[in-house]
Amino acid sequence: MAGGGGGGDGEPEFQVAPMIDVLLTILIFFMTITSAQVLKVDKSITLPIAPDAQKKDDKRAETVVNVRWKAAIKKAEFVLDEKVYPKADEMIPGLKLAKANGEKKVTVGANPNFRAIIRGDREAPALSISQAMNACAEAGIADISFSAVNKD
Amino acid sequence: MRRLNLETNEGNIGFQIAPMIDVVFVIMLFFMVMAGAVKVERELNTQLPGSAESSTSTDFVDEQIITVSENGEVLLNDEPFDSPTSHDLPQLKGTLMRLKQNADAAKSPTMVTIVSDENAKYSRTIDVLDALAVAKIDNVTFTVSDQD
Repeated sequence: MAGGGGGGDGEPEFQVAPMIDVLLTILIFFMTITSAQVLKVDKSITLPIAPDAQKKDDKRAETVVNVRWKAAIKKAEFVLDEKVYPKADEMIPGLKLAKANGEKKVTVGANPNFRAIIRGDREAPALSISQAMNACAEAGIADISFSAVNKD
Repeated sequence: MRRLNLETNEGNIGFQIAPMIDVVFVIMLFFMVMAGAVKVERELNTQLPGSAESSTSTDFVDEQIITVSENGEVLLNDEPFDSPTSHDLPQLKGTLMRLKQNADAAKSPTMVTIVSDENAKYSRTIDVLDALAVAKIDNVTFTVSDQD
């Protein structure tokens, strides 16, 4: 009845060193995935929800146009490279410059074109988003992506 | 100078493993909870219409028009779909998927234009774009009605 072949002399001790190894590995894993997915967006913008949209491709050369919505004064504000523009048309020179600089970079992936990402507030009217798109078109950027989040 | 020796001669203060494991557990729990709650940025792509070369022939395809009204009502070719408060748009998704399947069977591209009212909320347009993403329709244009 004295089954079990493993136990030699003495009681098996709880090994702390391998446990710490495992703990630290799990810790590093969670730290990595959390920091990699932190959303770097304008805090004044509440992005709309699109659970079925595709994951953001970070490999492409791009510029970001933020469209803020001031509900109190019912006015949209456009932000490009941390500069605030009251009208979308005023962004055109900045967008042209961003396109010229972005196209110099080598882009990896299936679609190497320079693109503009529009991060619009979910409460903003469609007109303000359309104005931002028009500004991109005027600057020669035809590839537009709308930014959203997976959940609220 | 001799007073220092009195304090340091008291036993050997070794590395304490138990509090370290406690701290590591707490940090790990924090990151595990954060990993579940983190928001991920997604994208919905569209291509602005460009100019076509006049020397080449252009095939005209059937264009589907989705209208988004100010109150959030969604119409596909003037036919209303789902309620204005529904974010999932199940009817529209189903119809668009069937449309895409039929177009694929006929080997013709599916082209969709979203015409949004200028005062309609942007989130409603994103709901429609999300429905198009589910139906795997990527030939999408977005425009605003009554624009100067």
